[in-house]
Amino acid sequence: MATHSAQAARFEQTSFAVGDKKLGMWVFLASEVMFFTGLIGSYIILRWGASSSWPAPNEVLNVPITAANTFLLICSSVAMVKAFAAIEEGNQKGLKLWLLATIVMGASFVGVQAYEYIELVHHGFTPASGLYGSTFYAMTGFHGFHVTMGVLCMIWVLGKAMRGHYTQENHQGVEVIGLYWHFVDLVWILLFTIVYLI
Amino acid sequence: MSAEHKKPRYMLVWGGLALLTAIEVGTAFVVRSALSGFGISEDTMTMLIIVILIGLAIWKAMLVALYFMHLKWETRALKWLAAAPLLPATIMIVVVLMEYV
Amino acid sequence: MATTTAGPTGIPVREEHHPQSFIRKYIFSTDHKIIGIQFLFTTLFFLLVGGLLAVMLRFQLGFPGEALPGGSMLPETMAPGGIILPEFYNSLVTMHGTFMVFFAIMPLLVGVYANYLIPMQIGTHDMAFPTLNMASYWLFLVSGLIMLASFWMVGGASGAGWTQYAPLSATPEASGVYNGQILWCISIAIFGFSSLLGSINYITTVINQRAPGMTWLRLPLVIWALFITAILGLLAVPVLTAAVIMLMFDQTIGTTFFLPTDGGQPLLWQHLFWFFGHPEVYILILPAMGFVSEIISNGSRKPVFGYKSMVFAIMAIAFLGFIVWGHHMFQSGMNPALGMSFMITTLIIAVPSAIKVFNWMATMWGGAIKFTTPMLFAVGFVMLFTIGGLSGIFMASTPVDIYIHDTYFIVAHIHYVLFGGSLFAIFGAIYYWFPKMFGRMINETAGKIHFALTFVLFNLVFFPMHGLGMEGMMRRIYDTSRYTHLAEVQDTNTMITWAALGLFASGLYFMLLFFWSLFRGKPAGVNPWDATTLEWSLPSPPKHGNWEEIPTVYHGPYEYSHPDVEKDWLLQNERPDVVSPAHEVTVRQGEA
Repeated sequence: MATHSAQAARFEQTSFAVGDKKLGMWVFLASEVMFFTGLIGSYIILRWGASSSWPAPNEVLNVPITAANTFLLICSSVAMVKAFAAIEEGNQKGLKLWLLATIVMGASFVGVQAYEYIELVHHGFTPASGLYGSTFYAMTGFHGFHVTMGVLCMIWVLGKAMRGHYTQENHQGVEVIGLYWHFVDLVWILLFTIVYLI
Repeated sequence: MSAEHKKPRYMLVWGGLALLTAIEVGTAFVVRSALSGFGISEDTMTMLIIVILIGLAIWKAMLVALYFMHLKWETRALKWLAAAPLLPATIMIVVVLMEYV
Repeated sequence: MATTTAGPTGIPVREEHHPQSFIRKYIFSTDHKIIGIQFLFTTLFFLLVGGLLAVMLRFQLGFPGEALPGGSMLPETMAPGGIILPEFYNSLVTMHGTFMVFFAIMPLLVGVYANYLIPMQIGTHDMAFPTLNMASYWLFLVSGLIMLASFWMVGGASGAGWTQYAPLSATPEASGVYNGQILWCISIAIFGFSSLLGSINYITTVINQRAPGMTWLRLPLVIWALFITAILGLLAVPVLTAAVIMLMFDQTIGTTFFLPTDGGQPLLWQHLFWFFGHPEVYILILPAMGFVSEIISNGSRKPVFGYKSMVFAIMAIAFLGFIVWGHHMFQSGMNPALGMSFMITTLIIAVPSAIKVFNWMATMWGGAIKFTTPMLFAVGFVMLFTIGGLSGIFMASTPVDIYIHDTYFIVAHIHYVLFGGSLFAIFGAIYYWFPKMFGRMINETAGKIHFALTFVLFNLVFFPMHGLGMEGMMRRIYDTSRYTHLAEVQDTNTMITWAALGLFASGLYFMLLFFWSLFRGKPAGVNPWDATTLEWSLPSPPKHGNWEEIPTVYHGPYEYSHPDVEKDWLLQNERPDVVSPAHEVTVRQGEA
């Protein structure tokens, strides 16, 4: 697998100065912005244009638990960043520990979300509960799906790390999964505000 | 691979994010009751709170993007790539909102 | 798998790879050329399906209430006694549009040629992510088969128009279509994912893997077009994916995004769909324009006139394409102020398209024109796309569109740009790159017959539709005899149907010619068209990995009739002073 400098030597100069995988991930994330815009944008439009006002979020949703969950996801992002910083210094042990921490926190986030869903459904709030239900479950559900996919990919990356696949010179995979993970966190930061606080 | 730069103070950013989250939750719950004594109308209050919350959320998102996702030290081209989808996204939402104006 | 090591010059050299099994080499291949060819065969099949659906719906319009020949094979729910039912007619119209847009034209332009050409034209071994590329093809095939399967569902295939307007598309009780509708949504969602993987590959590869010397302004216009198209797809298709999932939820789990019952907004569907839909139509035309630039330059033995303005026109079309979508919705009841803004932006977008048309004409002007089959199709494109574009000016004007929206005037426009435009360019591209793909030529005379038949019959089918639309014949209607103001159009419709049958037959003729040429075409050399872009320096067909050593690029992509060189073309990796050593190299005005 060619490192970035070897790549730069053999191809025409580009003003992006990043390897294929990292560039590919950023391009992918651009499309994800548009996907979430479709969902979140629809929510904003439907709520703004609603003829009657929607219930306040804390009347229906469990805001304190979700606030704590938000903090958990942010912590998982920090763990991810520490994992990346570790391998940048060639610290294999740090890489594996922090990756594991990220996975645990990420999986916990999904767990708490799942728990919230079960609670909500018990209280009669389902996707069929009017527009509020429709938009809530679509947005948070797809976000949760993205987090789940992230956790699975992270486990795969951890597996490779356990086998010593990443080195100080060559750890594009860690950087790339990190970008995805931070993005998922970023979307949640916006989602939490828009859905749970406003 | 990455540009030479001072390693970002991740824990500092984390602290900032935690603080901003707390402020957000606070704004959503506490500010309204705290300000209600000042005779500000419901609608203005709601508008104000929404603006503050969105602003805080954007601030947090920028922290994640610039520091955790490293954008601050990337090339201008990559920064543009990252920012690019925000334009069509904004256009879509704003234009369709005009249906309700 | 092949490995790369640094050769003596420091530029990586491909080592011999281990022999691959037939399955790895041709079925589950990661080679961009094989994937491109896989797309080609699959999309030609779907093109046939789309054409067949058109013939069936034209039969109903030409001979209303009569039994379709062979129609007795169809189930009673679709065509009892061979007579097409209105519900089935709606499905025919819907699926004709769906198959043609998503499974024929788009993948023929992008799936085939982005995959096939990008690595070779920019001078690299393969795409940046070959495995994702393979996944992109298989996801596409699966999505196409799912769409096909929807015909066999209870209630048949979706009949809500390829545009799937809610609430009809979201209300199975009203449309009578249950699983078929769900499958439509699932198919398009998977298709969106396939398209996304493709876009990521094309964008990353073009940015990062251009050969030394291949600066941005030396890229062939095909690459510019495909690159910008990939960006359009990247940003527009996910919105459709989101919308289609929301639609599916409305049908299945009781959400009400687009259903008015609990504040849902049918108009939101239209906005989401067309926010995707408009960039989509530029996805459907930009690569075609790229092919045409290439072929016309080659056929005129002249560089493309105004290369830089062509590049800026592509970018302008793409950018503006994001802010014109409301022109599909002038009659929808949306905010009238939006009507004005969308009209203005839509009129503006005609300008870069016109710039391209003038540049093609200027390219041909004074050229030593060779009317090969690809050149005929490319010039045909310019003529027919211009007509389609002109009708677009009518429609862009809101007051005019109030009368012609949802009439056959629109159908005429669509087909002039999609068939006269995109498909003509695709035919040109197929003839042009066939020798590179398969090492054989398609017979020139046979190809010219295909062109002549297609050109004449196409105009016979679609030109009269402008008039039909202005007389008030609405789109998607089943039987014109039910409308008194349409009493006189039946003869025209019958004539069109006969011509359409002929057009379909000429399509079949092309398919036969294509397959015959695969086995019996005259063997082609390395560069049968005396062309200048990098793929023409490779064997026909090229080996896995394309090059042993990455080439170096010395000049722009259209060095035809270079003053210092005897032959009238120069490959991008050929230096004029090396090819014609006696002459001094002249640096031409404006050459990058």
